[in-house]
Amino acid sequence: MTKQIQDAYIVAATRTPVGKAPRGVFKNTRPDDMLAHVIRAVMAQAPGIDPHRIGDAVIGCAMPEAEQGMNVARIGVLLAGLPHTVPGVTINRFCSSGLQAVAYAADAIRLGEADLMLAGGTESMSMVPMMGHKVAMNPAIFDNEHIGIAYGMGITAENVAKQWKVSREEQDAFAARSHERALAAQAAGEFKDEITPFQLDDHYPDLANDTIRTDSRVISQDEGPRAGSTPEVLGKLKPVFRNGQFGGTVTAGNSSQMSDGAGAVLIASEKAIKEYNLQPLARFVGFAVAGVPPEVMGIGPKEAIPLALKRTGISRDQLDWIELNEAFAAQALAVMKDLELDPAKVNPLGGAIALGHPLGATGAVRVATLVHGLRRHKQKYGMVTMCIGTGMGAAGIFEAL
Amino acid sequence: MPATLRIRKAAVLGAGVMGAQIAAHLTNAGVETVLFDLPAKEGPKSGIALKAIENLKKLSPAPLADKNLAAAIIPANYDEDLDHLKEVDLVIEAIAERMDWKLDLYRKIASHLSKTAVIASNTSGLSINTLAEALPEEMRHRFCGVHFFNPPRYMHLVELIPTRLTDASVIEGLEAFLATTVGKGVVIAKDTPNFIGNRIGVFSMLATMHHTEQFKLGFDTVDALTGPAIGRPKSATYRTADVVGLDTMAHVIKTMGDTLADDPWHTYFKTPAVLQGLIDAGALGQKTGAGFYKKVGKDILVLDPAKRDYVPSEQKASDEVAAILAIKDPAEKFARLRASGDPQAQFLWAIFRDLFHYTAYHLADIADTARDVDFAIRWGYGWKLGPFETWQAAGWQQVANWIAEDIKAGKAMSDAPLPAWVTDGRNGVHGKEGSWSAADGSYKPRSQHPVYARQLFPDAILGEKFDQGTTVWENDGVRLWTLGDDGVGILSFKTKMHTVNDHVLDGIQHAIGVAEEKLKAVVIWQTSEPFSAGADLKGALGLLKDGKFDAFESMVANFQRTSMRIKHSLVPVVAAVRGLCLGGGCEFQMHSARTVAALESYIGLVEAGVGLLPAGGGLKELAVRAANANPADPFESLKKVFETVAMAKVSASALEAKQLGLLRESDVVVFNAYELLHVAKQVAASLAESGWRPPLPARAIPVAGDTGTATFKASLVNLQAGYFASEHDVAIASRIADTLCGGGIERGSLVDEAWLLKLERKHFVELARTEKTQARIAHTMTTGKPLRN
Repeated sequence: MTKQIQDAYIVAATRTPVGKAPRGVFKNTRPDDMLAHVIRAVMAQAPGIDPHRIGDAVIGCAMPEAEQGMNVARIGVLLAGLPHTVPGVTINRFCSSGLQAVAYAADAIRLGEADLMLAGGTESMSMVPMMGHKVAMNPAIFDNEHIGIAYGMGITAENVAKQWKVSREEQDAFAARSHERALAAQAAGEFKDEITPFQLDDHYPDLANDTIRTDSRVISQDEGPRAGSTPEVLGKLKPVFRNGQFGGTVTAGNSSQMSDGAGAVLIASEKAIKEYNLQPLARFVGFAVAGVPPEVMGIGPKEAIPLALKRTGISRDQLDWIELNEAFAAQALAVMKDLELDPAKVNPLGGAIALGHPLGATGAVRVATLVHGLRRHKQKYGMVTMCIGTGMGAAGIFEAL
Repeated sequence: MPATLRIRKAAVLGAGVMGAQIAAHLTNAGVETVLFDLPAKEGPKSGIALKAIENLKKLSPAPLADKNLAAAIIPANYDEDLDHLKEVDLVIEAIAERMDWKLDLYRKIASHLSKTAVIASNTSGLSINTLAEALPEEMRHRFCGVHFFNPPRYMHLVELIPTRLTDASVIEGLEAFLATTVGKGVVIAKDTPNFIGNRIGVFSMLATMHHTEQFKLGFDTVDALTGPAIGRPKSATYRTADVVGLDTMAHVIKTMGDTLADDPWHTYFKTPAVLQGLIDAGALGQKTGAGFYKKVGKDILVLDPAKRDYVPSEQKASDEVAAILAIKDPAEKFARLRASGDPQAQFLWAIFRDLFHYTAYHLADIADTARDVDFAIRWGYGWKLGPFETWQAAGWQQVANWIAEDIKAGKAMSDAPLPAWVTDGRNGVHGKEGSWSAADGSYKPRSQHPVYARQLFPDAILGEKFDQGTTVWENDGVRLWTLGDDGVGILSFKTKMHTVNDHVLDGIQHAIGVAEEKLKAVVIWQTSEPFSAGADLKGALGLLKDGKFDAFESMVANFQRTSMRIKHSLVPVVAAVRGLCLGGGCEFQMHSARTVAALESYIGLVEAGVGLLPAGGGLKELAVRAANANPADPFESLKKVFETVAMAKVSASALEAKQLGLLRESDVVVFNAYELLHVAKQVAASLAESGWRPPLPARAIPVAGDTGTATFKASLVNLQAGYFASEHDVAIASRIADTLCGGGIERGSLVDEAWLLKLERKHFVELARTEKTQARIAHTMTTGKPLRN
């Protein structure tokens, strides 16, 4: 284990509910507003701290443009009502952006550069589509060795399914289980600790009555889990990325959902915890990121997980809870097979297939799930891990306190 | 001049199959339309209409010419929305065929209508005069029947049925509205049961069913005999019944039985046993999956009534009958049919004989003229010739004698005598003085209604000839001619399917030169559909097979010169498009000063289907348009057209062609194809009068460059990796992308038209050299279908 100056502790963690994109509850909710919401909420969970002491707000976003461009981190900080002394930086590592933000923020504390840090992620896939509004590819990618850059995520999932021999049936069964677990978790109130309900105030024209109709609702639950998503029902869907007649297996049903959402954590040093009498939820143990061929990007966690375990000195079997982002059932199953992860420990509350995957926010969202979940279930070590577009994987390890 | 009926807004009452589709077609035509139905018991009160509108987007063939138009139809219900009616100029009632329901509804709406609104019923069987009586007296003169055929967008016929009290001006106004705005072929019918089309059409079905049994023929055999083999639609008899629905068929037959007690053929107006048997078994045709036919997997099985089961269908006409049907001379064909001992031939003679007999017998009661009967059947049932035309073509007197003999011999379905006029020594019912009116005992010319002055070449009845104009110049490929003295030349191709070969290319260029000297505008118009099926593949493949690539490239260059000649002509060149407008034909209309397109225009740059890309200036023109639309980011505008061209999409209507970027916003859509030439000439003359100048040569066109091409290619990589596109598909599409984006240069670079044309030629010739493209061309030439290799 590397000797470090000090440990970093998560003292508050929350998230919005996750809405479906592009036509879900947050279709008109701006990503900077969602971000400001979760920043306000984590600040409220640590009353008494002096916001001027916050070193930086590191915020992940996978398509940082338009509504979530313009350095959305800084905008979120200001909109949340924090003093102008709190800086903000938006970072992008696609689907692990939110987790990467937590790691960078924790590093600032571990290095002794700050005692309080904000980290999080935000993403509106309703407002900013995959690949952004303006796609402009580099002509150089068509040299054979770079063709993987051109691949959409779906094709890489098909590649993983083929190479790792993950069948359509296995994928659909996994997807069905994700929905089943998510619905059970919702029924049991498992997400209550981590979700900060969001007050929706959408304005629509009421042409018939010549007035403005306001849709005011409090959103407090994830929108994605769908009852009746049985393997039989999912089995009827057509593969969308590779022609079914040519072995395509990846469908809209066994892929993650497009989503809107945000998450944030407040990270503190031991010194700050004592000074402000904070209650730490978890210790940030360590993080790793690794690269794999872009054409099989989904296998990324297979490289990142062992690296994170090695760096932190924790064994796989010490992990009680693994949040493995279900970008696609195919890649999640391939990673689980190769690393022999215990299916019971992976995504016990369901995963992105049911709960949604707001790209750059997902890391922070799942950190909130994990740190609250570990405490509630009196477990110790947990991990958040995911694959990353263009071929990477990330894994972060947390210890409940 | 009759009073013009101005219709800003219309209401359709009843959101069933016909009502919703009529509302859709009025909306296609730009008529604001309210669609009413009963208030829904649950959910939003206009839920029934809403659901019907939603369903319009899914129906095939599409009732909407552009799916986005669904949002323009206003859903309504009788509880809350009757207020709409006071703004409405036309009400079309299309509720269920129940006299009591219709009368109730008329009473309910009467007080809400404006004092000038026209009210029309789309009933197909009930008496219009009886319906009129339910209306307050002051409304009866504004009421009539207006009977659309299913599907209303595609069936040309509308029967217009005045009552005793309908104002002539209402009928005249509606006739003009239906013909020009809605694009329909109007036939004025008398108020007799089933009017004209269904009276004759359904009788023909009943006679066919009767003789099927008499001659013990299989249903599939009858369909093989009564489809395209005799100039009728592919669905022929029994497949049509399955599509219509066997319960609906039975209902129509029952209406005839109930209302036509005095008809000498009345004994046949009952549901045939086999049809009733199917209905009793719940086999109602296509909607229940089984009827006369049943689809099992990919196979279509046919009912064998003897076995009471479905058996594989493979029946064709017998060799003898096939040979007879191939005879060109109708007189000989009918003589041979009647003389043949083959039961199939006897069957065919019998169905024609009884149809002719029935139609002649009833002509005086149901229609003003024989022309109206023939048009009703052609436009309402899709036959190439109406019953009188068929008879006359086969030799009127000879056939009349045969019918009379058969009646005498007891072979005909009825012993009712032929009307005396049939055998008064005439040679037919259509002649120089017009068409026969049995009611008036005279020949009547075509309607003098001014709306028909817009039809320079109306649908011709047998033997009818129109002024072919004056030739200004012609070669083997084209004819440049004028009609009238408006100074607008008409340029028509002489090739089959109006394909484009060297003669056409040279001809167009030369003709434009002639027009610049002698005329003030040119309309490219074909004397028949289609506008053009594109380049002549046979000639092209010949050059390739012989390895004459230089000649091939100069042919392409000539194509481009022709397009550019059209674009830069000193007199405006207007393209008048109807039907297919593919490949090179599409490129010509893209280069025209303005395109005037009939609604039913199927436009596409389909070169990718034969392994090529549009190289007659089509891609160049799309790049120029993208640059004009969005000079800062032409790529943004290219996205849609790239997909259109790479997937060789063909528009399902002129309106959709605008959505696809193949027609311009400024191009004109004409609803009645018979008015196309008139409108195109007007547009051309008006462009000329407005001081036409061709566009300045485009010398600074910003292009999307190599980044644009790379972005298109990235999406193609995924399609190929997903096996949704073959390697050759991707090769073609990549070259399309490269041309649209201006080649391997920096984005935003400025190029001229010559640069883009050269790229088109380069990629075209390089693709043509590939084996796979040559295989695609050969395959399409032999099968008419694209090859995916």
